Amino acid sequence: MQVYTGPWTKAEAAHLLRRTTFGATNQQLLSAVSNGMSATVNSILQIPISGEPLAYDAGETIVPQGSSWVNAVYPANQTQNQQTENARFKSLGAWIAKNMNQEQLCIAEKMAFFWQNHFGVTATAESRAMYHFLALLRQNALGNFKQLIKDVTIDPAMLLFLNGATNNVFSPNENYSRELLELFSIGKGNQIATGDYSTYTETDVAAGAKILTGYTVTGIRSSTETQATASFNPILHDNNSKTLSYHFNNQVVAGAGATEYANYIDVIFAQPQVAKYICAKLYRYFVNYDITPTIQTDVIDVLAQTFINSNFEILPVMQQLLTSDHFYDMSVRGAIIRNPLEMIMGALNPTQTIPNFGLVGDYQMYISMYYVADTMGQSYIVPPSVAGWTAYYQAPAFSKLWINSTYIKKRFDIVSAIVYTGIPIGTNTLKMNHLGFLNGLSNPSNAPQVIDDICDVFFPKAIDAMDKLALKLILTGGLPDFEWTIQYTDYANDPTNTVVSNPVMQRMQAVMNVILKMPQFQTI
Amino acid sequence: MQAISKELFEYSKNAEDRVLVLIRMNGGNDGLNMVFPIDQYANLMVQRPNILIPQNQLLNLTSDVALHPKMTGMQDMFNNGKLSIIQNVGYPEANRSHFRSMDIWTTGALDINQTSGWLGRYFDSTYPNFPADYPNVNFPDPFAISMGSEVSSTCQGLMGNFSHAVNDPFNTSNLLLTSVTNDGTYYGSHIEYISTLINQTNEYGTAISSSANAGNSLSNLYDPLNPLAVQLKYIAQMISGGLKTKVYIVNIGGFDTHDSQVDQNSLADGSHALLLEMISDAVAAFQNDLQLLGLEERVAGMTFSEFGRQIASNGSYGTDHGDAAPIMLFGNCVNTGIIGPNPTIDNQINEQAGVPMQIDFRNVYASILRDWFEVPEPSIQSLFEQNITYLDVLSGCSVGLAEQEAQKQKPLAYPNPTPSNTTLRFQSKGEHYQIFIVDQLGKAIAQAFDGQLSTGKQELAMETSKLPAGHYYFLITSTNMRELVAFQKV
Repeated sequence: MQVYTGPWTKAEAAHLLRRTTFGATNQQLLSAVSNGMSATVNSILQIPISGEPLAYDAGETIVPQGSSWVNAVYPANQTQNQQTENARFKSLGAWIAKNMNQEQLCIAEKMAFFWQNHFGVTATAESRAMYHFLALLRQNALGNFKQLIKDVTIDPAMLLFLNGATNNVFSPNENYSRELLELFSIGKGNQIATGDYSTYTETDVAAGAKILTGYTVTGIRSSTETQATASFNPILHDNNSKTLSYHFNNQVVAGAGATEYANYIDVIFAQPQVAKYICAKLYRYFVNYDITPTIQTDVIDVLAQTFINSNFEILPVMQQLLTSDHFYDMSVRGAIIRNPLEMIMGALNPTQTIPNFGLVGDYQMYISMYYVADTMGQSYIVPPSVAGWTAYYQAPAFSKLWINSTYIKKRFDIVSAIVYTGIPIGTNTLKMNHLGFLNGLSNPSNAPQVIDDICDVFFPKAIDAMDKLALKLILTGGLPDFEWTIQYTDYANDPTNTVVSNPVMQRMQAVMNVILKMPQFQTI
Repeated sequence: MQAISKELFEYSKNAEDRVLVLIRMNGGNDGLNMVFPIDQYANLMVQRPNILIPQNQLLNLTSDVALHPKMTGMQDMFNNGKLSIIQNVGYPEANRSHFRSMDIWTTGALDINQTSGWLGRYFDSTYPNFPADYPNVNFPDPFAISMGSEVSSTCQGLMGNFSHAVNDPFNTSNLLLTSVTNDGTYYGSHIEYISTLINQTNEYGTAISSSANAGNSLSNLYDPLNPLAVQLKYIAQMISGGLKTKVYIVNIGGFDTHDSQVDQNSLADGSHALLLEMISDAVAAFQNDLQLLGLEERVAGMTFSEFGRQIASNGSYGTDHGDAAPIMLFGNCVNTGIIGPNPTIDNQINEQAGVPMQIDFRNVYASILRDWFEVPEPSIQSLFEQNITYLDVLSGCSVGLAEQEAQKQKPLAYPNPTPSNTTLRFQSKGEHYQIFIVDQLGKAIAQAFDGQLSTGKQELAMETSKLPAGHYYFLITSTNMRELVAFQKV
């Protein structure tokens, strides 16, 4: 795998930004072209600090509207406690959609979702714990993976989700122990004998459960404690030595109380398979589902070695991947079907369609976006299972699973709404920023160039000339190109006059309604 | 000649019209908290004392088998011969990963490289060139419908998924038509897939909604708050409206009961109880509807889950991933009763022990294809990797050639008439049997047999040599059987 040295045009810049962000504007694409690959990748790999979710819903009775609730107690009254939790859950969902829609041009939100998919945690107990878990993933999204998995292991949200909080010496619970191996670290191989999954055995699952005993969580939705807190209780811990299987060289993990889990994770990470498993997952998420033997040796194994050499830092792996010749290969462009949030934000972000209805109006709009993605199979805080979404692991369909007859209809319904009527929430309606988008194109008065730019922004590969012609005829309403030039120039000279702006907007609506329903748009 | 032709015609026509409903219980169903082996109750109490429902609350099916107390609808169905249970269904070397095990169940194969579903392979063998050539004039309707938003892995074929995802059959609107070319790349394959889907959604959508609108539902037993009942009602409406779809798949999640599967203050309640009640009520309403609609002999159903759970409960009032579990078949055409013996529960078990597999799920699938869709056995064998052993699962309504086959299964005494002893042949349901010799007036004059018999064909030597000449009957009785077999002593 070599560093990419080929042409750096809009097509390559757009490919990079489609895979690492939720959608770039035409101007952002042009800036990326002029900055060059190296500078663009470096700037994408900076993760900015994100603000905390704010209270907006009337159900929140502890903190005032506009304040963060992530370190606030819950009401003692049971009904109010539940109402507050409902309000906080909505605030958290809205916050997720807001982060995506208002992202700076960087990998943070895409990376955060990668980890949420990787760990598959569902908000089981309270939104505070879920927020802190998501914040942990986001802050360490490009950090040290070994440390991240250690932190995740004793995070209250994870302890609650996979029964770690009730796993004790008297009654070991295997749930987390199994997924730690099967899904989070080394991955499960083929079953080669009873209870032997190539990379670990049922013995390791049982031993791991005992190693991980002793943690409990307190303060869940407490009216006095500002956090759900994990703590270690030596009485609940199985402090005997645990012997692992031959996959881990029959190593013995000695009783070590509160830090024993970390020693165990170190043992797991001594196996080179951990780096290969994670790099394969990164590859599937950022490049392509199809890991051929050649891809395995030439790409995954190379990335895995980088991962091991850096003691499991994510950043150098991503740096190497995003600047590699393979990443920009034509064979992998458009090889991923957009997930629902990529589809929604992929329409909103490049057109700079951003709610501006004040705190409450914005949060209401964002929670409705969150729920729309939920109805298409992507409920960010409630993954379908601990393995995450099937589109990232289920052969042979992979990302095809994001679309079926029901979901394609929903995608079309959403496009129709955003493009034409707007998304109505309460008294606010979020309409596509057609004119702002058009004005940001290279030469908006030139109809063929308008279509060229739109295709650069929304399609991963060039479409054929006949399709472009058909789109241009939609834009011009079948009239000669100069008619568009005149119409646009009239509008540009008098931009607040709806008599001249509305016809331009209506032509853009007609074009965008087709663009965003073309199969090509569904891929990145 | 003519008679044979007609018979063959009716035979295939019936199979064409049949519908199979699959209920997927997602998460790993605790079979031991659904179908209780009463004869193992004492040891169950040793292994799962914190969750075992008191014996006097269970719903008895036979002297040895009982259902969860919330499954009254299914108990009635069992008593009316519309529900059967297959015990200890699984596969060798159980894999306790949800994801892998559900793959195994949906592909119908243990081979890791198998990516098509068991019904997808059957459809592929019967309807080549799918999805490119479909829908068409002869096949205007989807071959399978997956209720909800997800297509079913069970129906994944080589080139496409034979199931069509339907949330609401009354609301399937037209979509934009597109035409695209596949340039041979991953991208080309994706855009071709999406555009094919758009076209299909359009054409199938019309067929589905017009059938649903033409159809009917007559039962008032469906609970509108029970999501499974709502989906089964939709299915009844589509079938009665004439949709030719052969397979419907519904999903119900929540079976991964690692903790709090029972209410610790009331063990017959809790999350697992709610799920079982939902299934039992919904299926009973659906069966009632089918009866009222006159569709009972065209529709059969089966439940399945990726695995059972461990025999011993954990300290969180739950159970961890296990191995085999019972599955349920329902419909007017099921072979009634309980197939297979109760699992054996020891008072000492290995850590993590599950219920051992006794009946391979792939044999159940194969038997459904044989009995229900009347697929020839060599064709069925080609869909599966193992040597198939068939069970009688859905031959309760067989007609034509199938009926002749069924005739062979009827109880029979031979030789008949007999000058001395005779042999009694019949299909045992694996129960305790008593057999009496009854005279012409219906009076029992001797007991000829008293004991437990294993499931399957039995041939019992009957002592008849000392009877005076005359006409008699063997009366065969068990919990689920009461049959008279005439014979003559000469």
